[in-house]
Amino acid sequence: MPERAPSKADGLDFASLVRQHQAMVFSICWHVLRDRAVAEELAQDVFLSLYQHLATLESPEHVQFWLRKVASNRALDVLRRRQRRPMVSLENAPEPVAVSPTGDPMLGSALRRLVGALPEKARAIVVLRYQEDLDPAEIARILGIPVGTVKSQLQRALGLLREKLSRSLGEIGL
Amino acid sequence: MNLEDELRSALRRHEPSPDFTARVLARVAAAPMRQAPRPWVRWVAALAAALLLAVGGLGYRQYQGERAKSQMLLAMRIAASKLNKAQKKVQMITHRSNS
Repeated sequence: MPERAPSKADGLDFASLVRQHQAMVFSICWHVLRDRAVAEELAQDVFLSLYQHLATLESPEHVQFWLRKVASNRALDVLRRRQRRPMVSLENAPEPVAVSPTGDPMLGSALRRLVGALPEKARAIVVLRYQEDLDPAEIARILGIPVGTVKSQLQRALGLLREKLSRSLGEIGL
Repeated sequence: MNLEDELRSALRRHEPSPDFTARVLARVAAAPMRQAPRPWVRWVAALAAALLLAVGGLGYRQYQGERAKSQMLLAMRIAASKLNKAQKKVQMITHRSNS
């Protein structure tokens, strides 16, 4: 492995850092991109970048913030590059085949699909809010947007998801 | 049904493929290393840039001075030549009127 400047982040070796944060980074990429292979590739890029910037990161919290920020923003970059291709809008998103009120894998799958059809920024906000359990202020810092924008986009996204999901539930008579 | 709870459940973290860490480490080992710049390098670069600007500024002022001087000399030469011509004409007119 090539040498790098010593890190102030912690005494852990880089492999431990990868193992510790890989689920977080991969899941952010996967939930935003809805493509497992691309998400794994992007998550690897994020860790490669982490290795190169490790000396500038000051604490384990800084490492975690940096990883969330870079993973979210790079996933959004990939989405923007994809925009040239035709996209499925939320209105045209495939409806869930069957859903049930609680803890159903089908409901989870339907929700992930609906989240994946949200506008790109709203999608990243929803992923950071419900996957990472971050508050709007932290999400705003990560995405570099005002807190008010995070709150309004989150409310709008939840409204859209609720409407789309209730329509699906109504259609199958639940 | 609580939508926010369902979202938390649907968007929970997942592990990537089992060889993920190994693949990251392989890529790190293969990648050319980019050294982080040391703090003093920035200061030296800033000092060098300031020095260059100062030297450049002085040189430019000197160049402007030289240029102004040569323009002034040229203007004086032109004025002197015009004055000579005028003087010669006056002398010719005076000479004709006397004769």
